[in-house]
Amino acid sequence: MEDNNLLRIEHIKKNFGDTGVLSDISLSVNEGEVVSIIGPSGSGKSTLLRCATLLTQMDDGNLYYGDMCAAKSVNGKSVYAGKDELKKIRQYFGLVFQNFNLFPHYSVLKNIIDAPVNVLGRSKEESEKKAAELLKMLGLAEKGDAYPCELSGGQQQRVAIARALALEPKILFFDEPTSALDPELTGEVLAVIRKLAANHMTMVIVTHEMQFAKEVSDRILFIENGVVVEEGTPDKLFSSDNPRVREFIGRMAN
Amino acid sequence: MNITFMQLLSGMVVSVEIFLLTLLFALPLGLLVAFGRMSKNKILQTLVKVYIAIMRGTPLMLQLIVVYFAPFYIFGLKISQGYRFVAVIIAFSINYAAYFAEIYRAGIESIPIGQYEAAEVLGYSKRQTFFRIIFPQVIKRILPPVTNETITLVKDTSLAFVIAVAEMFTIAKQISAKQASVNALMVAGLFYFVFNYAVAYIMEFFEKKLSYYR
Repeated sequence: MEDNNLLRIEHIKKNFGDTGVLSDISLSVNEGEVVSIIGPSGSGKSTLLRCATLLTQMDDGNLYYGDMCAAKSVNGKSVYAGKDELKKIRQYFGLVFQNFNLFPHYSVLKNIIDAPVNVLGRSKEESEKKAAELLKMLGLAEKGDAYPCELSGGQQQRVAIARALALEPKILFFDEPTSALDPELTGEVLAVIRKLAANHMTMVIVTHEMQFAKEVSDRILFIENGVVVEEGTPDKLFSSDNPRVREFIGRMAN
Repeated sequence: MNITFMQLLSGMVVSVEIFLLTLLFALPLGLLVAFGRMSKNKILQTLVKVYIAIMRGTPLMLQLIVVYFAPFYIFGLKISQGYRFVAVIIAFSINYAAYFAEIYRAGIESIPIGQYEAAEVLGYSKRQTFFRIIFPQVIKRILPPVTNETITLVKDTSLAFVIAVAEMFTIAKQISAKQASVNALMVAGLFYFVFNYAVAYIMEFFEKKLSYYR
Protein backbone atom coordinates (compact mmCIF):
# COMPACT_ATOMS: atom_id res chain seq x y z
CA MET A 1 0.00 0.00 0.00
CA GLU A 2 1.32 3.40 -0.96
CA ASP A 3 1.63 6.12 1.63
CA ASN A 4 -0.69 8.53 -0.11
CA ASN A 5 -3.49 6.04 -0.66
CA LEU A 6 -6.75 7.57 0.55
CA LEU A 7 -9.38 5.03 -0.44
CA ARG A 8 -9.31 1.33 -1.11
CA ILE A 9 -12.35 -0.66 -2.10
CA GLU A 10 -11.64 -4.34 -2.58
CA HIS A 11 -13.83 -7.03 -4.16
CA ILE A 12 -17.06 -5.29 -3.33
CA LYS A 13 -20.27 -7.27 -3.87
CA LYS A 14 -23.77 -5.94 -3.51
CA ASN A 15 -27.05 -7.64 -4.39
CA PHE A 16 -30.54 -6.23 -4.28
CA GLY A 17 -32.70 -9.33 -4.14
CA ASP A 18 -31.77 -11.71 -6.94
CA THR A 19 -30.28 -9.18 -9.33
CA GLY A 20 -26.60 -8.63 -8.77
CA VAL A 21 -25.76 -4.95 -8.75
CA LEU A 22 -22.05 -5.04 -8.03
CA SER A 23 -19.90 -8.10 -8.46
CA ASP A 24 -16.27 -7.91 -7.47
CA ILE A 25 -15.33 -4.29 -8.07
CA SER A 26 -12.10 -2.89 -6.67
CA LEU A 27 -11.00 0.73 -6.70
CA SER A 28 -8.03 2.47 -5.17
CA VAL A 29 -7.65 6.24 -5.09
CA ASN A 30 -4.46 8.11 -4.26
CA GLU A 31 -4.11 11.59 -2.89
CA GLY A 32 -4.63 14.28 -5.52
CA GLU A 33 -6.15 11.87 -8.02
CA VAL A 34 -9.36 12.54 -9.92
CA VAL A 35 -11.16 9.33 -10.83
CA SER A 36 -14.29 9.31 -12.97
CA ILE A 37 -16.75 6.45 -13.13
CA ILE A 38 -18.77 6.12 -16.30
CA GLY A 39 -21.18 3.54 -17.61
CA PRO A 40 -24.77 3.05 -18.70
CA SER A 41 -27.75 3.56 -16.38
CA GLY A 42 -28.19 0.68 -13.98
CA SER A 43 -24.57 -0.38 -14.33
CA GLY A 44 -23.97 0.05 -10.59
CA LYS A 45 -22.01 3.33 -10.60
CA SER A 46 -24.22 5.06 -8.06
CA THR A 47 -24.45 1.94 -5.93
CA LEU A 48 -20.66 1.80 -5.84
CA LEU A 49 -20.58 5.41 -4.67
CA ARG A 50 -23.28 4.77 -2.08
CA CYS A 51 -21.32 1.80 -0.72
CA ALA A 52 -18.14 3.87 -0.59
CA THR A 53 -19.91 6.66 1.31
CA LEU A 54 -21.55 4.22 3.76
CA LEU A 55 -25.09 5.10 2.64
CA THR A 56 -25.58 1.51 1.52
CA GLN A 57 -24.01 -1.54 3.14
CA MET A 58 -22.17 -3.84 0.80
CA ASP A 59 -22.66 -7.59 1.11
CA ASP A 60 -19.01 -8.53 0.75
CA GLY A 61 -15.70 -6.76 0.32
CA ASN A 62 -13.24 -4.51 2.13
CA LEU A 63 -13.40 -0.75 2.49
CA TYR A 64 -10.49 1.32 3.79
CA TYR A 65 -10.03 5.05 4.18
CA GLY A 66 -6.35 5.84 4.77
CA ASP A 67 -5.39 3.44 7.55
CA MET A 68 -8.92 3.20 8.86
CA CYS A 69 -10.96 0.11 8.09
CA ALA A 70 -14.66 0.77 7.47
CA ALA A 71 -15.53 -2.80 6.51
CA LYS A 72 -13.69 -6.06 6.21
CA SER A 73 -14.71 -9.27 4.56
CA VAL A 74 -15.10 -12.11 7.02
CA ASN A 75 -16.25 -15.49 5.66
CA GLY A 76 -17.66 -13.89 2.54
CA LYS A 77 -19.54 -11.14 4.34
CA SER A 78 -18.62 -7.53 5.05
CA VAL A 79 -18.30 -6.74 8.73
CA TYR A 80 -18.50 -3.03 9.45
CA ALA A 81 -16.52 -1.11 12.03
CA GLY A 82 -18.16 0.21 15.21
CA LYS A 83 -20.27 3.34 15.38
CA ASP A 84 -17.48 5.60 16.66
CA GLU A 85 -15.01 4.43 14.05
CA LEU A 86 -17.56 4.95 11.27
CA LYS A 87 -18.25 8.44 12.60
CA LYS A 88 -14.53 9.21 12.29
CA ILE A 89 -14.46 7.73 8.81
CA ARG A 90 -17.40 9.89 7.69
CA GLN A 91 -15.27 12.96 8.39
CA TYR A 92 -12.73 11.63 5.91
CA PHE A 93 -14.94 12.13 2.86
CA GLY A 94 -17.65 14.37 1.47
CA LEU A 95 -20.45 13.66 -0.99
CA VAL A 96 -22.20 15.89 -3.49
CA PHE A 97 -25.61 14.54 -4.52
CA GLN A 98 -27.37 14.61 -7.85
CA ASN A 99 -30.31 16.45 -6.27
CA PHE A 100 -28.18 18.76 -4.07
CA ASN A 101 -30.14 17.86 -0.92
CA LEU A 102 -29.57 21.25 0.64
CA PHE A 103 -31.49 21.95 3.84
CA PRO A 104 -34.33 24.21 2.62
CA HIS A 105 -35.06 25.79 6.01
CA TYR A 106 -31.48 27.02 6.41
CA SER A 107 -29.89 29.95 4.62
CA VAL A 108 -26.92 29.28 2.34
CA LEU A 109 -24.51 30.30 5.10
CA LYS A 110 -26.27 28.15 7.70
CA ASN A 111 -26.25 25.17 5.32
CA ILE A 112 -22.48 25.50 5.15
CA ILE A 113 -21.62 26.19 8.81
CA ASP A 114 -24.20 24.06 10.59
CA ALA A 115 -22.22 20.80 10.36
CA PRO A 116 -18.79 22.32 11.18
CA VAL A 117 -20.31 24.00 14.25
CA ASN A 118 -22.63 21.24 15.46
CA VAL A 119 -20.80 18.12 14.29
CA LEU A 120 -17.15 19.11 14.54
CA GLY A 121 -17.64 21.63 17.37
CA ARG A 122 -15.85 24.46 15.57
CA SER A 123 -16.50 28.05 16.57
CA LYS A 124 -19.18 29.97 14.70
CA GLU A 125 -16.84 32.84 13.81
CA GLU A 126 -14.18 30.57 12.37
CA SER A 127 -16.78 28.59 10.40
CA GLU A 128 -18.39 31.73 9.01
CA LYS A 129 -15.04 33.04 7.89
CA LYS A 130 -14.27 29.79 6.13
CA ALA A 131 -17.75 29.69 4.58
CA ALA A 132 -17.29 33.22 3.22
CA GLU A 133 -14.04 32.14 1.58
CA LEU A 134 -15.67 29.09 0.05
CA LEU A 135 -18.62 31.11 -1.25
CA LYS A 136 -16.23 33.59 -2.79
CA MET A 137 -14.23 30.82 -4.45
CA LEU A 138 -17.44 29.32 -5.87
CA GLY A 139 -18.73 32.66 -7.14
CA LEU A 140 -21.52 32.93 -4.56
CA ALA A 141 -20.11 35.68 -2.35
CA GLU A 142 -23.41 37.59 -2.32
CA LYS A 143 -25.63 34.59 -1.61
CA GLY A 144 -24.89 33.82 2.02
CA ASP A 145 -28.26 35.10 3.25
CA ALA A 146 -30.31 33.59 0.42
CA TYR A 147 -32.39 30.44 0.89
CA PRO A 148 -31.92 27.43 -1.41
CA CYS A 149 -35.35 27.95 -3.01
CA GLU A 150 -34.19 31.37 -4.21
CA LEU A 151 -31.23 29.92 -6.12
CA SER A 152 -30.89 28.31 -9.53
CA GLY A 153 -30.00 24.62 -9.71
CA GLY A 154 -26.42 25.45 -10.60
CA GLN A 155 -26.10 27.78 -7.64
CA GLN A 156 -27.68 25.20 -5.34
CA GLN A 157 -25.21 22.58 -6.46
CA ARG A 158 -22.32 24.97 -5.84
CA VAL A 159 -23.65 25.60 -2.34
CA ALA A 160 -23.79 21.82 -1.85
CA ILE A 161 -20.14 21.64 -2.90
CA ALA A 162 -19.27 24.43 -0.44
CA ARG A 163 -21.16 22.59 2.29
CA ALA A 164 -19.13 19.44 1.65
CA LEU A 165 -15.82 21.35 1.45
CA ALA A 166 -16.49 23.18 4.73
CA LEU A 167 -15.81 19.93 6.58
CA GLU A 168 -12.41 19.70 4.87
CA PRO A 169 -12.79 16.18 3.50
CA LYS A 170 -9.70 14.42 2.21
CA ILE A 171 -11.72 12.95 -0.62
CA LEU A 172 -14.84 14.27 -2.30
CA PHE A 173 -17.40 12.12 -4.11
CA PHE A 174 -19.77 13.41 -6.76
CA ASP A 175 -22.87 11.43 -7.70
CA GLU A 176 -23.88 12.68 -11.16
CA PRO A 177 -23.54 16.29 -10.00
CA THR A 178 -24.96 17.81 -13.17
CA SER A 179 -27.67 15.30 -14.10
CA ALA A 180 -30.44 17.45 -12.56
CA LEU A 181 -29.26 20.61 -14.32
CA ASP A 182 -29.96 22.34 -17.62
CA PRO A 183 -27.02 22.27 -20.05
CA GLU A 184 -26.63 25.98 -19.38
CA LEU A 185 -26.19 25.47 -15.64
CA THR A 186 -24.11 22.32 -16.04
CA GLY A 187 -21.17 24.41 -17.20
CA GLU A 188 -20.90 26.47 -14.02
CA VAL A 189 -20.83 23.37 -11.83
CA LEU A 190 -18.26 21.63 -14.03
CA ALA A 191 -16.13 24.79 -13.89
CA VAL A 192 -16.10 24.57 -10.11
CA ILE A 193 -15.06 20.91 -10.20
CA ARG A 194 -12.29 21.76 -12.66
CA LYS A 195 -11.10 24.43 -10.26
CA LEU A 196 -11.00 21.88 -7.44
CA ALA A 197 -9.07 19.47 -9.66
CA ALA A 198 -6.55 22.23 -10.40
CA ASN A 199 -6.15 22.63 -6.62
CA HIS A 200 -5.39 18.88 -6.38
CA MET A 201 -8.56 17.96 -4.55
CA THR A 202 -8.94 14.17 -4.50
CA MET A 203 -12.23 13.35 -6.20
CA VAL A 204 -14.31 10.42 -7.38
CA ILE A 205 -16.92 11.51 -9.88
CA VAL A 206 -19.81 9.52 -11.30
CA THR A 207 -20.79 11.36 -14.45
CA HIS A 208 -22.40 11.21 -17.87
CA GLU A 209 -20.38 14.17 -19.14
CA MET A 210 -17.85 12.38 -21.35
CA GLN A 211 -15.89 15.40 -22.49
CA PHE A 212 -15.63 16.66 -18.93
CA ALA A 213 -14.50 13.27 -17.63
CA LYS A 214 -11.86 13.12 -20.31
CA GLU A 215 -10.50 16.55 -19.43
CA VAL A 216 -10.55 16.43 -15.67
CA SER A 217 -9.75 12.81 -14.81
CA ASP A 218 -6.47 11.10 -14.13
CA ARG A 219 -8.22 7.78 -14.45
CA ILE A 220 -11.58 6.57 -15.72
CA LEU A 221 -13.47 3.40 -14.85
CA PHE A 222 -16.04 2.06 -17.26
CA ILE A 223 -18.56 -0.02 -15.35
CA GLU A 224 -21.26 -2.22 -16.82
CA ASN A 225 -23.43 -4.90 -15.20
CA GLY A 226 -21.64 -4.47 -11.92
CA VAL A 227 -18.13 -5.12 -13.16
CA VAL A 228 -15.27 -2.88 -14.29
CA VAL A 229 -15.12 -3.41 -18.04
CA GLU A 230 -12.15 -1.15 -18.57
CA GLU A 231 -10.00 1.13 -16.46
CA GLY A 232 -7.21 3.52 -17.33
CA THR A 233 -6.18 7.01 -18.36
CA PRO A 234 -8.71 9.05 -20.34
CA ASP A 235 -6.61 8.55 -23.47
CA LYS A 236 -6.66 4.81 -23.00
CA LEU A 237 -10.43 4.73 -22.44
CA PHE A 238 -11.26 7.04 -25.32
CA SER A 239 -9.15 4.99 -27.73
CA SER A 240 -10.28 1.66 -26.34
CA ASP A 241 -10.40 -1.48 -28.49
CA ASN A 242 -13.32 -2.80 -26.50
CA PRO A 243 -16.36 -2.40 -28.78
CA ARG A 244 -18.73 -1.92 -25.81
CA VAL A 245 -16.64 0.96 -24.43
CA ARG A 246 -16.29 2.54 -27.87
CA GLU A 247 -20.00 2.30 -28.50
CA PHE A 248 -20.93 3.83 -25.13
CA ILE A 249 -18.49 6.71 -25.37
CA GLY A 250 -19.49 7.38 -28.96
CA ARG A 251 -23.17 7.44 -28.03
CA MET A 252 -22.68 9.67 -24.96
CA ALA A 253 -20.44 12.12 -26.78
CA ASN A 254 -23.33 13.07 -29.06
CA MET B 1 -78.05 38.99 34.97
CA ASN B 2 -74.72 39.82 36.45
CA ILE B 3 -74.47 36.49 38.21
CA THR B 4 -75.42 34.74 34.98
CA PHE B 5 -72.67 36.56 33.14
CA MET B 6 -70.13 35.61 35.79
CA GLN B 7 -71.22 31.98 35.47
CA LEU B 8 -70.74 32.07 31.72
CA LEU B 9 -67.35 33.68 32.18
CA SER B 10 -66.20 30.96 34.56
CA GLY B 11 -67.39 28.41 32.00
CA MET B 12 -65.28 30.10 29.34
CA VAL B 13 -62.23 29.94 31.57
CA VAL B 14 -62.73 26.20 32.07
CA SER B 15 -63.13 25.65 28.31
CA VAL B 16 -59.94 27.57 27.61
CA GLU B 17 -58.14 25.58 30.30
CA ILE B 18 -59.24 22.29 28.78
CA PHE B 19 -58.12 23.53 25.37
CA LEU B 20 -54.67 24.72 26.47
CA LEU B 21 -53.87 21.76 28.71
CA THR B 22 -54.94 19.30 26.01
CA LEU B 23 -52.61 20.94 23.48
CA LEU B 24 -49.82 21.07 26.06
CA PHE B 25 -50.00 17.31 26.64
CA ALA B 26 -51.29 15.99 23.31
CA LEU B 27 -48.75 17.69 21.02
CA PRO B 28 -45.62 16.12 22.60
CA LEU B 29 -47.44 12.86 23.37
CA GLY B 30 -48.51 12.68 19.72
CA LEU B 31 -44.89 12.86 18.62
CA LEU B 32 -43.99 9.96 20.91
CA VAL B 33 -46.96 7.98 19.58
CA ALA B 34 -45.83 8.74 16.02
CA PHE B 35 -42.38 7.32 16.84
CA GLY B 36 -44.05 4.20 18.21
CA ARG B 37 -46.21 3.94 15.11
CA MET B 38 -43.12 4.14 12.88
CA SER B 39 -41.01 1.88 15.10
CA LYS B 40 -39.22 -1.08 13.56
CA ASN B 41 -40.27 -3.04 16.65
CA LYS B 42 -43.34 -4.90 15.40
CA ILE B 43 -44.86 -5.38 18.85
CA LEU B 44 -44.65 -1.70 19.73
CA GLN B 45 -45.90 -0.74 16.29
CA THR B 46 -48.92 -3.05 16.60
CA LEU B 47 -49.77 -1.82 20.10
CA VAL B 48 -49.68 1.77 18.91
CA LYS B 49 -51.81 0.92 15.87
CA VAL B 50 -54.45 -0.64 18.14
CA TYR B 51 -54.34 2.41 20.42
CA ILE B 52 -54.83 4.79 17.49
CA ALA B 53 -57.63 2.63 16.08
CA ILE B 54 -59.51 2.72 19.40
CA MET B 55 -59.00 6.46 19.90
CA ARG B 56 -60.17 7.29 16.39
CA GLY B 57 -62.80 4.57 16.16
CA THR B 58 -64.87 5.29 19.28
CA PRO B 59 -66.69 8.47 20.33
CA LEU B 60 -64.70 10.90 22.42
CA MET B 61 -67.78 11.22 24.62
CA LEU B 62 -67.58 7.52 25.45
CA GLN B 63 -63.85 7.81 26.11
CA LEU B 64 -64.55 10.63 28.58
CA ILE B 65 -67.00 8.42 30.46
CA VAL B 66 -64.62 5.47 30.46
CA VAL B 67 -61.70 7.53 31.76
CA TYR B 68 -63.92 9.10 34.41
CA PHE B 69 -65.35 5.86 35.74
CA ALA B 70 -62.29 3.63 35.21
CA PRO B 71 -60.76 4.20 38.67
CA PHE B 72 -64.00 3.01 40.28
CA TYR B 73 -64.84 0.08 38.03
CA ILE B 74 -61.34 -1.23 37.50
CA PHE B 75 -59.58 -0.36 40.76
CA GLY B 76 -62.56 0.10 43.08
CA LEU B 77 -61.37 3.59 44.01
CA LYS B 78 -63.70 6.32 45.14
CA ILE B 79 -63.94 9.05 42.52
CA SER B 80 -63.19 12.42 44.05
CA GLN B 81 -64.82 15.62 42.89
CA GLY B 82 -61.50 17.05 41.63
CA TYR B 83 -60.97 14.05 39.37
CA ARG B 84 -63.66 15.25 36.94
CA PHE B 85 -61.42 17.87 35.44
CA VAL B 86 -58.36 15.59 35.47
CA ALA B 87 -60.37 12.91 33.67
CA VAL B 88 -61.30 15.42 30.97
CA ILE B 89 -57.67 16.39 30.42
CA ILE B 90 -56.54 12.74 30.32
CA ALA B 91 -59.27 11.70 27.88
CA PHE B 92 -58.76 14.67 25.59
CA SER B 93 -54.97 14.34 25.64
CA ILE B 94 -54.84 10.66 24.76
CA ASN B 95 -57.54 11.12 22.12
CA TYR B 96 -55.92 14.09 20.42
CA ALA B 97 -52.45 12.55 20.71
CA ALA B 98 -53.69 9.76 18.42
CA TYR B 99 -54.81 12.23 15.77
CA PHE B 100 -51.69 14.38 16.12
CA ALA B 101 -49.54 11.25 15.86
CA GLU B 102 -50.93 10.46 12.43
CA ILE B 103 -50.36 14.04 11.34
CA TYR B 104 -46.76 13.92 12.58
CA ARG B 105 -46.25 10.60 10.82
CA ALA B 106 -47.55 11.95 7.52
CA GLY B 107 -45.26 14.97 7.91
CA ILE B 108 -42.19 12.94 8.80
CA GLU B 109 -42.72 10.45 5.98
CA SER B 110 -43.11 13.28 3.47
CA ILE B 111 -39.55 14.52 4.00
CA PRO B 112 -37.35 13.28 1.13
CA ILE B 113 -34.85 10.54 1.99
CA GLY B 114 -32.12 12.76 0.54
CA GLN B 115 -32.38 15.04 3.57
CA TYR B 116 -31.50 12.12 5.86
CA GLU B 117 -28.68 11.01 3.56
CA ALA B 118 -27.18 14.49 3.34
CA ALA B 119 -27.25 14.77 7.13
CA GLU B 120 -25.71 11.32 7.52
CA VAL B 121 -22.83 12.08 5.17
CA LEU B 122 -22.21 15.40 6.95
CA GLY B 123 -21.84 13.47 10.20
CA TYR B 124 -25.01 14.48 12.04
CA SER B 125 -26.13 12.03 14.71
CA LYS B 126 -29.62 10.53 14.43
CA ARG B 127 -30.88 12.91 17.10
CA GLN B 128 -29.33 15.96 15.43
CA THR B 129 -30.70 14.88 12.07
CA PHE B 130 -34.19 14.71 13.47
CA PHE B 131 -34.23 17.87 15.54
CA ARG B 132 -32.06 20.12 13.35
CA ILE B 133 -33.01 18.98 9.85
CA ILE B 134 -36.21 16.93 9.74
CA PHE B 135 -38.50 18.27 12.47
CA PRO B 136 -38.38 21.98 11.50
CA GLN B 137 -39.47 21.01 8.00
CA VAL B 138 -42.17 18.71 9.40
CA ILE B 139 -43.67 21.57 11.42
CA LYS B 140 -44.06 23.70 8.32
CA ARG B 141 -45.77 20.89 6.44
CA ILE B 142 -48.19 19.87 9.19
CA LEU B 143 -49.40 23.31 10.25
CA PRO B 144 -52.59 23.22 8.10
CA PRO B 145 -53.82 19.82 9.39
CA VAL B 146 -52.81 20.77 12.95
CA THR B 147 -54.91 23.92 12.61
CA ASN B 148 -57.84 21.74 11.60
CA GLU B 149 -57.46 19.51 14.64
CA THR B 150 -57.00 22.47 16.95
CA ILE B 151 -60.22 24.07 15.75
CA THR B 152 -62.04 20.78 16.24
CA LEU B 153 -60.60 20.66 19.75
CA VAL B 154 -62.11 24.05 20.63
CA LYS B 155 -65.56 22.73 19.80
CA ASP B 156 -64.92 19.30 21.35
CA THR B 157 -64.25 20.89 24.74
CA SER B 158 -68.05 21.12 25.02
CA LEU B 159 -68.14 17.31 25.30
CA ALA B 160 -66.83 17.64 28.85
CA PHE B 161 -70.44 18.32 29.86
CA VAL B 162 -71.01 14.56 29.72
CA ILE B 163 -69.18 14.14 33.03
CA ALA B 164 -70.61 17.40 34.35
CA VAL B 165 -67.51 19.55 34.17
CA ALA B 166 -68.66 23.15 34.37
CA GLU B 167 -67.26 24.34 31.06
CA MET B 168 -68.89 26.85 28.73
CA PHE B 169 -71.47 24.59 27.13
CA THR B 170 -72.55 22.89 30.38
CA ILE B 171 -73.22 26.22 32.02
CA ALA B 172 -74.91 27.75 28.99
CA LYS B 173 -77.26 24.78 28.85
CA GLN B 174 -78.14 25.08 32.54
CA ILE B 175 -78.82 28.81 32.25
CA SER B 176 -80.80 28.31 29.10
CA ALA B 177 -83.01 25.72 30.86
CA LYS B 178 -83.54 27.96 33.88
CA GLN B 179 -84.40 31.04 31.83
CA ALA B 180 -86.37 29.09 29.22
CA SER B 181 -84.46 31.09 26.58
CA VAL B 182 -81.75 30.28 24.07
CA ASN B 183 -79.78 33.47 24.76
CA ALA B 184 -77.11 31.79 26.85
CA LEU B 185 -76.60 29.15 24.15
CA MET B 186 -76.23 31.89 21.56
CA VAL B 187 -73.57 33.53 23.70
CA ALA B 188 -71.83 30.16 23.94
CA GLY B 189 -71.98 29.80 20.16
CA LEU B 190 -70.44 33.22 19.73
CA PHE B 191 -67.74 32.32 22.22
CA TYR B 192 -66.70 29.21 20.24
CA PHE B 193 -66.73 31.17 17.01
CA VAL B 194 -64.54 33.99 18.31
CA PHE B 195 -62.21 31.49 19.98
CA ASN B 196 -61.76 29.62 16.72
CA TYR B 197 -61.28 32.80 14.79
CA ALA B 198 -58.40 33.64 17.12
CA VAL B 199 -56.96 30.13 16.76
CA ALA B 200 -57.06 30.35 12.97
CA TYR B 201 -55.48 33.80 13.10
CA ILE B 202 -52.61 32.65 15.29
CA MET B 203 -51.98 29.55 13.15
CA GLU B 204 -51.96 31.67 10.02
CA PHE B 205 -49.36 33.88 11.67
CA PHE B 206 -47.12 30.83 12.19
CA GLU B 207 -47.67 29.67 8.63
CA LYS B 208 -46.62 33.06 7.32
CA LYS B 209 -43.61 33.02 9.57
CA LEU B 210 -42.51 29.73 8.02
CA SER B 211 -43.24 30.76 4.45
CA TYR B 212 -39.72 32.11 3.94
CA TYR B 213 -38.72 28.82 2.29
CA ARG B 214 -40.28 26.13 0.17
